[in-house]
Amino acid sequence: MGRRIGFAALVGSFTPQVSSVAFADHEMAMSGHHHGDSSQLSVGVSIEAAEFDNMFYVGSYQGITPSLGWMSQRLGLGATIGLYHLSENGLSVYGPGDAMVTGHMTVLAAETLEAGVALHAMVPTGSELDGLGMGHVMAMPSAWGTWHARSVTIMASGGYGRAVTALGGGRHDHGPSPLVDPMNMQELTWSASADLVVGHGVRVGGRTLGGIPIGTGRTRAVGGGHVGWDTPRVSTTFEVQLGIAGDPFTIRGVVETSLHF
Amino acid sequence: MRFVLLGFVLAACTNTPPPPTATRTVCPDPDPDTLTWDNFGQKFMADYCTMCHSSTLSHSQRNGAPLYHDFDTLMGVLQVPDHIDQYAGSSTTVHNSAMPPSECPSVPGGPLNRDCRQPSDAERANLSMWIACERLRPH
Repeated sequence: MGRRIGFAALVGSFTPQVSSVAFADHEMAMSGHHHGDSSQLSVGVSIEAAEFDNMFYVGSYQGITPSLGWMSQRLGLGATIGLYHLSENGLSVYGPGDAMVTGHMTVLAAETLEAGVALHAMVPTGSELDGLGMGHVMAMPSAWGTWHARSVTIMASGGYGRAVTALGGGRHDHGPSPLVDPMNMQELTWSASADLVVGHGVRVGGRTLGGIPIGTGRTRAVGGGHVGWDTPRVSTTFEVQLGIAGDPFTIRGVVETSLHF
Repeated sequence: MRFVLLGFVLAACTNTPPPPTATRTVCPDPDPDTLTWDNFGQKFMADYCTMCHSSTLSHSQRNGAPLYHDFDTLMGVLQVPDHIDQYAGSSTTVHNSAMPPSECPSVPGGPLNRDCRQPSDAERANLSMWIACERLRPH
């Protein structure tokens, strides 16, 4: 069970731009529960649809995010980029979001407990003007931990995100930005989730995650519930998320599937 | 894997416009009062902005313009002067051209069906100067 959820975590950690079902939305990466000595490759895709209604924009977006991950024992690498259709105040735009590259390492691997560190870097491939990107590089180091026993897995993470640019340059505030995946210029991030395997490879769970600005910005919080199905090589999860604070979105649905070999 | 790599390559090749930047234009002291809403600002906004940035347009008619960014009145402009300067203003060291965009509606709230008229460099510089002065004036 831990291995299956670990696989989902592995791929999920590579798709934070779409708030991947397993772990994402700037939630810091957790490494997969990778057993054995051989390296492991994962490919995945996440499809999402969301509606938002904040102070300045009303609209919706749809995204598809392919992801690629590699993991060998305690080390892992990943990359992902979302491709979006965004409708904002009557304007329809298509384009990529910000690309994400991730490195993570497991530093503690006991029978029921794992912990590690990760570093995400977001590259500004998305248009800031269109609400698809931050407009600058973001660096996000984090630490994570998981505990699993029998059919229950509990995970938590905390991190720090910062724009790799001058902060507080008098930029005009347009509310949550970018629309497809808002962040603050500098913030603390957090997440917590729980999964319960109910049998036949099916698991259900819930999670919450968010960000707390350092300096100016908005506190952001998201909550969601999901159901997933795992086989030795394929993990698929469907999650419904609600924006709780900070207007990241009103409601969002995400379907994610990943293949590992 | 090839699809992912292709995505990264395409994204890396995308032209990213320069970020919106404050021109830091300073109004002379005393205010020369040569650029005003009546003789400059209102016409500039009508020529380049209010097809989308108007208080008369609903959110679905704004072609992406943020709500509460309405430039059909002086008071509306003075709600977000920094925004206007950072997206359309110009100075000797900064040239913002994020706005107007490349495509505009022919009628307020209409579909994007024509190329936008673009302000001259002199008009953009006047915009920044007018904003720098107008925001200091009593209203």
